[in-house]
Amino acid sequence: MNFFADLKVTFRSMRRNFRFSLLAIFVMTSGLSLSIYMFSFLYNTLSAPLPFDQGERVRKLQPITSTNQFLSFRLSDYQDMAKSQTTFDVFDTYYNRRRNLVSSDRSFRDRVFYVNPPFFEVSNARPLKGRVINQDDMLPGAAPVVVIGEHIWDNLYGGADDVLGKELRIENKPFTIVGVMPATYRFPDYAKIWAPFDMTTQGINRSNVPYASVYGRLKEGVSDEQAEADLVQIMEQIALEYPELNEGESVIVTTFQKLAAMTTDTLILAMQLCVGLVLLLACINTGNLLLSRALEKSKESAIRTAMGATRGVLVTQVMMEAVLICLISGVLSLMIVSLSLEGSLTALKSMFLGSEPPYWWRFELTLESYLAAIFMTVATAVITGLLPAIKATKGDVSSILRDGTRGAQSFQSGRLSKLIVISEVALSSALLLIATSVALSVIEKNHTDYGIRLDGYLTAEVSLNRSDYRTDERRLSFFQKLEQELEKQPGVDDVSFTRMVPITWARVEQFEVEGVDYGKDPKYPRPEIVTVSNDYFSTVEIKLFEGRTFSEQDRADTPLVAIVSQNFIKKYMNGEPALGKRIKLARSGSDWYTIVGVVNDVTHGWPYSYNIERPSVFVNLQQNPERAMSVVIKTANDPNLLRETLRRVAFEVEPNAPLFNVLTMERNHERAVADINFISRLFILFAIASMILAFSGIYGVMAYTVTQKTQEIGVRRALGADNQEIHVHFLKQGAIQLITGLLVGIPVGIGLLNMLIQSELVSFSAMIFILVPLAISLTIVIAVANPVRKVLKLEPIHALRYE
Amino acid sequence: MSALISLKKLKKVFSTEEVDTHALSDIDLEIKSGEYVCISGPSGCGKSTLLSILGLLDTPSGGSFILNGTDVCELDAKQRADVRKKEVGFVFQSFNLISDLTVEENVELPLTYRKELSKAERESMVANALEKVDMAHRRKHYPSQLSGGQQQRVAVARAVVGNPSIILADEPTGNLDSKNAEQVMSLLDQLHGEGATICMVTHDPRGVKRAKRSVEIFDGRVVADSSLSRPKKTEQSEKELATEATVA
Repeated sequence: MNFFADLKVTFRSMRRNFRFSLLAIFVMTSGLSLSIYMFSFLYNTLSAPLPFDQGERVRKLQPITSTNQFLSFRLSDYQDMAKSQTTFDVFDTYYNRRRNLVSSDRSFRDRVFYVNPPFFEVSNARPLKGRVINQDDMLPGAAPVVVIGEHIWDNLYGGADDVLGKELRIENKPFTIVGVMPATYRFPDYAKIWAPFDMTTQGINRSNVPYASVYGRLKEGVSDEQAEADLVQIMEQIALEYPELNEGESVIVTTFQKLAAMTTDTLILAMQLCVGLVLLLACINTGNLLLSRALEKSKESAIRTAMGATRGVLVTQVMMEAVLICLISGVLSLMIVSLSLEGSLTALKSMFLGSEPPYWWRFELTLESYLAAIFMTVATAVITGLLPAIKATKGDVSSILRDGTRGAQSFQSGRLSKLIVISEVALSSALLLIATSVALSVIEKNHTDYGIRLDGYLTAEVSLNRSDYRTDERRLSFFQKLEQELEKQPGVDDVSFTRMVPITWARVEQFEVEGVDYGKDPKYPRPEIVTVSNDYFSTVEIKLFEGRTFSEQDRADTPLVAIVSQNFIKKYMNGEPALGKRIKLARSGSDWYTIVGVVNDVTHGWPYSYNIERPSVFVNLQQNPERAMSVVIKTANDPNLLRETLRRVAFEVEPNAPLFNVLTMERNHERAVADINFISRLFILFAIASMILAFSGIYGVMAYTVTQKTQEIGVRRALGADNQEIHVHFLKQGAIQLITGLLVGIPVGIGLLNMLIQSELVSFSAMIFILVPLAISLTIVIAVANPVRKVLKLEPIHALRYE
Repeated sequence: MSALISLKKLKKVFSTEEVDTHALSDIDLEIKSGEYVCISGPSGCGKSTLLSILGLLDTPSGGSFILNGTDVCELDAKQRADVRKKEVGFVFQSFNLISDLTVEENVELPLTYRKELSKAERESMVANALEKVDMAHRRKHYPSQLSGGQQQRVAVARAVVGNPSIILADEPTGNLDSKNAEQVMSLLDQLHGEGATICMVTHDPRGVKRAKRSVEIFDGRVVADSSLSRPKKTEQSEKELATEATVA
């Protein structure tokens, strides 16, 4: 028979066994979809080269110490590295800051990237209009220029043709627009405004020089390791020269992609392992379905052999079905993935609220996705098809034809199906352990008690210009005026200020408690310090346990006061009475603060244990008038209704201090858990997929095994076994496979959990170790009991005569 | 001798959507303890169906069936299983040994369903049964490692191991060559000689001749029931038995 005739026969047989083919395609499609999705997602966000010529050679540098990784280098260190390094053909620096920006008629706040000319060369910048920043702009005394992105051009200047030469005020300083970049150009990640790099080390003590980001383009043929070795050596040299500043500091070579993903290598590895396990499960299931079919057809194979077919021909025939199933599944998976990638973009955008995902992230099927899909499809076809084909065509032809070896064959395939069930149990228990642990921890985090009320608040950040608000009085009067004006608005119940809204972020400082000896090598307490206005505690419903909150009597000319959280006393003062004790910033000449009140614990920063457990010190806005604060508005209505009011009032009070991050308190919380929710959704997807695959797989194998043993059941009944004894017999067999599978799967799961534990994405719970085995045991019981029950419905004599 | 089995007006009807097939109609039959009955007839006459009902592997559609004084038509599935394990021993045409179990495990199988027997009791009963069929030397083998004749001897051992009231044999020589068939028949003879009640379905005339009573069935009815005189063992068959025993 030729290829096409074989293909026709295969198609016909698949059509005849429609339900079987459908099941196989379903199983394979689930496995392939998840795998292709994960590949596309991880590749496009993490591994794909930056979208310009030689983008694959661009690297970001990160300073590290033994305990920490940072994002920017001391500018003087950058200059020393730039002088000595030999592995990059471009070695450059930039920095970005949030700035208040004013066009002729509008004000807003956004990031400005301060860059050098090579920045645009490396990233292949082609301006839509005008030019990019050049060497002349960098000269001392050059007129300040700025390059804007298409977004800004459209939104602020209405896409006007004469935008070049117009003015954009940055922190109240005029800059001339010299170029417009296309919307597709956002290097280094989501930039929209670029200005000349203006940091300098001249005339500044090395310990006070500013920090900036460092990146470069590797010379052709230079590996990351070589570049890193070279730079590490230079950093060691610097550390020898300036031990007090650079002791223990080193450098790693990484990519913009990895830094932007805000994730860890272990998390990615865990996801890849999970998806690998799911794909393996799918392969085992489909392979097993095909094997059972091939064994059923072993008589047909024997007849073909008797007619002169070689083993190769037979293997090809069985393989063809596997290839067809995988091919159809591959195409279906690509369609599903293409749809779900679009969905992910929406989900991820909510994570990046306030900013945006890096511009090189692509949520579509790329060439690499297609290649990976083809590779996975072919690989799964071989894995699922080859083994069954070899196994099924190995039988002794003449005995199969004489129909006498039923026993011998079922003996072999029986062992194989036991192995399959064991691996299904092992794989699914490992996957379920991880997925449920992740889901549990996410549920915990979603219900974090931040120590404040979440509903009914609108929050926004504001940052005053340094030049206009030099004095404490001016700053204080701004906040007072804003508060008064806002409180006049209908729907506003209460207004107060805090340096940082809980949930969002924290400023951690070293403190010392009066009278405590911190020793020679002092490890000072590191709580967060939060500046708040007088009525802040009542506005957000933080409970006062002892003493008092801030009031009008605390002024610049009265002694400094502080309020601490309960865990501050527990952690740093051995639980002793705190009222009246004094604390101050360590290693500085700051004055002593007297503790006047104790409030409940408040979490500043995202809900990870290090944030939740960190104590807080609250100080008074009137005694520490800061330039940047957050306003918190309490309302009985939907806080979103106050957005416009807030914007309008703030603009009226100070047009040069636009509000940003205008969010409800609940939205702040959602944003804090958005990434873990996204990741947990993936893991829950893995869990559901593995549960479905494992259940269908185990059920399929068990049902097939039981059907194969119909005659045996008949014999056992003829010999006196009652229904219960038959059930017990098969359940015992299932139990052995279950226990073996769990003994393999649970330790693997625990190993994977340990990988994830640092990322605080999992929470260990004894319940998991009961629930997961229970769920799988239940699967086995159903998978055994149901087919056995069906066979037992037959009269024993029919079971005995079953073919 | 009292009747071990008593069938009155026994019926078996197979109903499909289109037609009712009367496999057995108004069967009246008594089998006494210690009898060696052969049920014969052409293919499809209902003899195997009758044997299945006698072995409680199938239920009659009507009539009564008294086994050892118990009306078995009234029993539920569990009670029927109980009767099977104590009263009935089966020998099938296709041996029906369980391929994953060794010879001795196969023979022990019906005893494992009898909770009253201790492990030691079971072991000695299995050893006895294997001794009887001369298969003790193969007790650790798997069925696939045995010849057809040997497998059937193991099956006979399994049928007699629990000392059942009756051994039901369904074409026990159907899958065997004449030499092996002869051995199995001799084995049944021997068991009968030791007092076993045997009811055998066969259309092998040699088998028919060995039984003491022949019941002939045609179209689901008993058409002849005659006691036969048992032919004497030939010298040749004695010899054959001895040869096989040494070969095995």
